[in-house]
Amino acid sequence: MSPQPQAAVGAPLSRVDGRLKVTGQARYAAEHDVDGTVHAVIIDASIGRGRITAIDTRQAEAQPGVLRVLHHRNAPKLPYRDNTASNNPPGERLRVFQDDKVLFHGQPVAVVIATTLEAAQHGARLVKVRYQTEQPDTDLTDATPDKPTTYARGDAEAALRKAPVRLDLSYRTARNHHNPMEPHATIARWEGGKLTVWDKTQWVVGTQTELAAVFGLPLDSVRVISPYVGGAFGTGLRCWPHTIVAALAARVTKRPVKLVLSRRQMYFGNGFRPAYAYRLRLGSDRRGRLTAALHEMDGETSSYETFTEAIMTPGQMLYSTPNVKQAYRTVPLDVNTPIWMRGPGFANASYVIESAIDELAHTIGIDPIELRRRNEPAEDESSGLPFSTRRLRECYTIGAREFGWHRRSHKPRSRREGDWLIGMGMAAGVYDTARATAQARVRLDADGTATVEAATSDMGPGTYTSQTQVAADALGLTMRTVTFRLGDSLYPPTPPHGGSMTMASVGSAVLDGCNRVRNNAIKLATEDRQSPLHGADPNDIVVRGGRLHVKNNPARGETYRALLTRNKSTHLEALGNFTGPEGTPRHSFFAYNATFAEVAVDATLGLVRVRRMLGVYDAGRIISPKLAQSQAIGGMVGGIGTALLEHSVTDPRDGRTVNANLADYLIPVNADVPDIQAIYLDGEDREADPLGVKGLGEVVHVGVAPAIANAVFNATGRRIRQLPITADALL
Amino acid sequence: MPTEPVPQGPTPATAAPEGPTAPTRRTFIATGTAVGTTVVAGGVLGTGLLPGSEAAAAASAPSSRLSLTVNGTRHTVTVDNRTSLLDLLREHLGLTGSKKGCDAGACGACTVLVDGRRQNACLTLAVRMEGAEVTTIEGLADGDQLHALQQAFIDQDAFQCGYCTPGQILSGVACIQEGHTRSPEEIAEWMSGNICRCGCYPKIVSAVQQAAGKK
Repeated sequence: MSPQPQAAVGAPLSRVDGRLKVTGQARYAAEHDVDGTVHAVIIDASIGRGRITAIDTRQAEAQPGVLRVLHHRNAPKLPYRDNTASNNPPGERLRVFQDDKVLFHGQPVAVVIATTLEAAQHGARLVKVRYQTEQPDTDLTDATPDKPTTYARGDAEAALRKAPVRLDLSYRTARNHHNPMEPHATIARWEGGKLTVWDKTQWVVGTQTELAAVFGLPLDSVRVISPYVGGAFGTGLRCWPHTIVAALAARVTKRPVKLVLSRRQMYFGNGFRPAYAYRLRLGSDRRGRLTAALHEMDGETSSYETFTEAIMTPGQMLYSTPNVKQAYRTVPLDVNTPIWMRGPGFANASYVIESAIDELAHTIGIDPIELRRRNEPAEDESSGLPFSTRRLRECYTIGAREFGWHRRSHKPRSRREGDWLIGMGMAAGVYDTARATAQARVRLDADGTATVEAATSDMGPGTYTSQTQVAADALGLTMRTVTFRLGDSLYPPTPPHGGSMTMASVGSAVLDGCNRVRNNAIKLATEDRQSPLHGADPNDIVVRGGRLHVKNNPARGETYRALLTRNKSTHLEALGNFTGPEGTPRHSFFAYNATFAEVAVDATLGLVRVRRMLGVYDAGRIISPKLAQSQAIGGMVGGIGTALLEHSVTDPRDGRTVNANLADYLIPVNADVPDIQAIYLDGEDREADPLGVKGLGEVVHVGVAPAIANAVFNATGRRIRQLPITADALL
Repeated sequence: MPTEPVPQGPTPATAAPEGPTAPTRRTFIATGTAVGTTVVAGGVLGTGLLPGSEAAAAASAPSSRLSLTVNGTRHTVTVDNRTSLLDLLREHLGLTGSKKGCDAGACGACTVLVDGRRQNACLTLAVRMEGAEVTTIEGLADGDQLHALQQAFIDQDAFQCGYCTPGQILSGVACIQEGHTRSPEEIAEWMSGNICRCGCYPKIVSAVQQAAGKK
């Protein structure tokens, strides 16, 4: 960490952007005031697969205010260069308006540009599109899978045959949509050959590289700005077709164009968490020690790109298992390409594994926590590496104590309150501690204030606040004298704001940059004959409240302001750098949790209500405890949705999402959410990164759905091996 | 079920029953709404926002003139009859604090106070607002002094991304005025028209309790 006193880091501070957000002043993508902006509305394909045979735009173009209607017959051909510096999965990305092919229901087929939103919306209704339709493939279990990705250690089949206890379980998880409250939106403006885009994105750098590749521009001709993101949960991790459409429309009309996806378009205009069919076979001895695990998972992808996620990882490292075999197949369907959603891969795998572990415990007749303890590995058995930190046992102990786990009856359906069957369940959660190369620019001005800039994003976790905390302590400044800026491709590059890697990656770059600036100031002072610190050992000097002083002699010192002013220096500046993991790894890095849930199930109606939840986390150092609490509660609320409510339903006739709205795609509302508690274990992970953090955003969501599913079993004696667990499944 | 203003029919790829001469459902509604109001061509809005010829074109869509008070300021505007109160606020008055989450009354992000009552601005036609007093998030604070519920949202960390927050706060202000704060359960029930995808619900309840003087 740092020799500096830690005043801000670890303190339960309120958000630095709180005032802007509660007064409506934080500007999201569609809210930037760009002179002369006109409006665009996308017309999306109403068939599941086929070709466009005719487009009649006359009636739309006759509407007052309509400027242009663009489609594949009149849109300019675009270079669509390959973009390896992106999150585009392998395959051929969708090329908007470049040909007559329709690859999925909802694909953009035309765009109406008009002077007012009303005219654009009305115009979009008047465009007539004719198609030659084909029957789309929409069912994961009917379509032809790709070749599997496999993993094996030991001989899982032989071990399973010999195992005295065997389980063979098949699970289904639903397609989920991120549904951030802010719909995707883009404002695009061309000035000569230069393109500026205000966009909802978790990665301005990725959107910048994609726009440059699609339009054949030098990277520095594209600027992407995204200071506030109204939630994303993964949906902003790649540049979607509508952003290209907005830039194209702006180029053709020579006007700045604003394009906002409707909520309905959020179900095919960007990605989703793919549905899975997952078969898990477990073998164990009679004491519950696992001897074999065979995982077969099939997950949705599109016909044009192969989307994969880390669904194989938990099955390789969460529990000690000598014999493991896995096969992961993507299944191409006529749908838009999925994208990572909170806890990607891990959340689905953990639902299956943690449900199966619960079944195994019940089969053998031991407590599910005890079963997990018996299978706790001494090392990461997939790599043979020691865990940097793995405190799952503590999570179990503290969670069981705080939740009152001893009150759980081992016998299902044995606790009843009136019509309600009451049950308790738990699950373990895990998520990979990812880190990647990041930079941050730090500038300390002679007035004693500092500005830190990095291209990263804040979709809600509180990047603005937590990075300010890191910078304030490393510079020895108060929170209010440090300004952190993000969301602009002009700032130093950072990795995608996803996969829980922002604090570890960007935070480490901020720390490095601030350390450099502070050390430069200390050097300036100790070498300056007029400074009271002249000749002092630089290693003995700390900075507090903007004042440098000898650590054990606070009287001997001076302020940054005095130092810089006397030296006629307007500012000190440094570029902070974090290179991510280097060389051969010596440890295995993961964050963990134990999540507990109590549910009540109406015995007659099958209605499930979550009554209490608790999450206990081994996530390394917590930079911003107040915000970390919110993250955990939010992760659990999201898990209630996954477990009980969320399911995007496809009409097999035409690939249409039938519940593409917030009235029919159910997500938890306030009255669905009970008392929720979160506990973070004290400590840090010194091997993971300079800050000692392991990431929060994903791990708080992983393990929530199976904890609820296991509680439903404990309440009812019914195993529902399908998400979401809806009332009809329990009747 | 209609969910938004630009529905694309589910299957009839070639269907477009209305000929150019037949009144469409939308123009019918627009015309009907305009009855009884003064239709003024080339109003404040058109000239203010659009270059000359386009302003005339836009103004030739059925429009109405109305006066309403937003955050204490009286506005007289000419609006396209199809304009929602939400789009009037966001696209014409520059008040982007009211958010568009679903444009279908299902999420509550657009909640504003109309004559003191909470209302989904996305489901409200602007032309219905003649004489109305509208309060948006921009009008809640008293100068630099935040409204008690705004401060409570900061204190309780009752938001993350912040996009649903203005709607939550205005809904919360009304919830307190309505007296639906006798228990956390009652607050949760009466705040359930406002979705928070970041999942800050328990903290939203705490913030409403704090501002209601019960925490």
